[in-house]
Amino acid sequence: MTNQAIQLSINGIHKSFGSKSGPVEVLSGLTFDVHEQDFVSIIGPSGCGKSTIFNIIAGLLEADQGSLIYRGEKTTSLRGRIGYMMQKDLLFPWKTVLDNVLLGLKVRGEDGPQAVDMAREYLSTFGLSGFEKSYPQTLSGGMRQRVALIRTLLMDPDILLLDEPFSALDYQTRLYLESVLLEAVATFKKTVILVTHDIDEAVALSKRVVALSGRPTTVKNVHEIEIERTSPIDARAHKNFSEYFNLLCSELDIQTKKDASV
Amino acid sequence: MNSKPSLLSSWLNSGTGKSFIQLLSVVLFFAAWQLGAELGFISEFLVGTPAGIWKCFVASVLNYSIFIDTGCTLWEALLGFVIGTIIGTALGLSLWYSKWAAQITEPFIVAINSVPKIALAPIILLWFGTGLGAKVVLVVSMTAIIALIAAHQATKDADKDLQSLLFSMGGNKHQIFFEVIVPSSMPVIVSNFRINVGFGLVGAVVGEFISSKAGLGHMIYNASSLYELNSVWVGLFMLMIVGFFLYHAIDALEKWMFPWRSDNGRTQIRM
Repeated sequence: MTNQAIQLSINGIHKSFGSKSGPVEVLSGLTFDVHEQDFVSIIGPSGCGKSTIFNIIAGLLEADQGSLIYRGEKTTSLRGRIGYMMQKDLLFPWKTVLDNVLLGLKVRGEDGPQAVDMAREYLSTFGLSGFEKSYPQTLSGGMRQRVALIRTLLMDPDILLLDEPFSALDYQTRLYLESVLLEAVATFKKTVILVTHDIDEAVALSKRVVALSGRPTTVKNVHEIEIERTSPIDARAHKNFSEYFNLLCSELDIQTKKDASV
Repeated sequence: MNSKPSLLSSWLNSGTGKSFIQLLSVVLFFAAWQLGAELGFISEFLVGTPAGIWKCFVASVLNYSIFIDTGCTLWEALLGFVIGTIIGTALGLSLWYSKWAAQITEPFIVAINSVPKIALAPIILLWFGTGLGAKVVLVVSMTAIIALIAAHQATKDADKDLQSLLFSMGGNKHQIFFEVIVPSSMPVIVSNFRINVGFGLVGAVVGEFISSKAGLGHMIYNASSLYELNSVWVGLFMLMIVGFFLYHAIDALEKWMFPWRSDNGRTQIRM
């Protein structure tokens, strides 16, 4: 491993939400590091606050306690420096594909002719040339998620936050987009934090996997995934794949035997 | 079930078939009315007859009065509708900027909305005279509050995830307003034009009832006080035609403004 420098430290983050029966503690001192050009997956039981972590990093929520340390500097959020992708593609229905991918640059006031040329180039790289003037509604789910990925990459963010971006897609499209993602991340040398329910996806894509406990959430374990991969498909064929898969399943207390249920 | 649709049923489901049935029912309705009047079942004096209405219509075309009256009412309604919609929409959208202002004004908006604006007609005529101004003000008072409520509700319903996305990209409040709130509210606002343009006609006609020198409301009111039922019907049918035309104008406007809504909400589940 050459790139072990720490890019982002998530340091003792606490977050509670108010409810009828008093505050509910969701994150309870969450701590983990993200390396430069890392690919970290966060897995954990449903409702453990995976999206809350993202919202804090993105600046949509404020942590009650704890800090983010970005390349050695303490910061409250990485707003404007991250690219956010969710399960919903979040394309603007009234904007054409071209205007959608340019959105992030427009927000920064950098959507000049150069940016438009670059956007067209990205669109053709990702097999979407000819769709510049189409509206999102006319595209398939896989195409829309590719548009969302281009929008994220065009902003040249320091870190990509991916919140189950492929979970609404069919398996084939998903495998295809996983490889598109891995390629793009390698080409553009990006750091990725991926939230997923899918252990299979986490093992196939990540360099490291952060396993979380149930609420109030802390980090249970961080696993290095040592699989040399060229694509997510051959990662799944790797001899170590099932070992990691089983390890993470047991980490999440997923019952694999019928009689184990009580 | 529908293995063999008969020729008749497929024709009845076609565009021309439906138009034919619509036309046929109109013709039958007027024929029955005319026949009833001639046979003495229907009082010509209290109800009028289609033939009489037609004569009246032709006469009003020949002396141009129908064009003047229709144009007058249409102008009052449209001018008031446009002004009211712009004011109401602008206020309704801008309430998004300040939750505080929205909460302060909400009970007042509800209170103003609950007053039937028609009840204001006499005062408005007192204040603004008997001309165009009073009718326009009356229409504005009816349409602005509806546009305001629609626009404000639309801003509240704007997709939160799109707002979050723009914010995480570093967008500020103005950018969120102009990139998300306004464009996502527009379809609701424009769809609401259908209701408001109807209120435009109501306001104009009621204004004319109270005091006027021209307009379809003027024509209907005068004719009915003289028991000229055929003239009344001409006025009513003209109003119907104007309303119909405006409704479809808004349909066309919607299609032109929102090309991205490919189905325009017209698709329906087969049941």
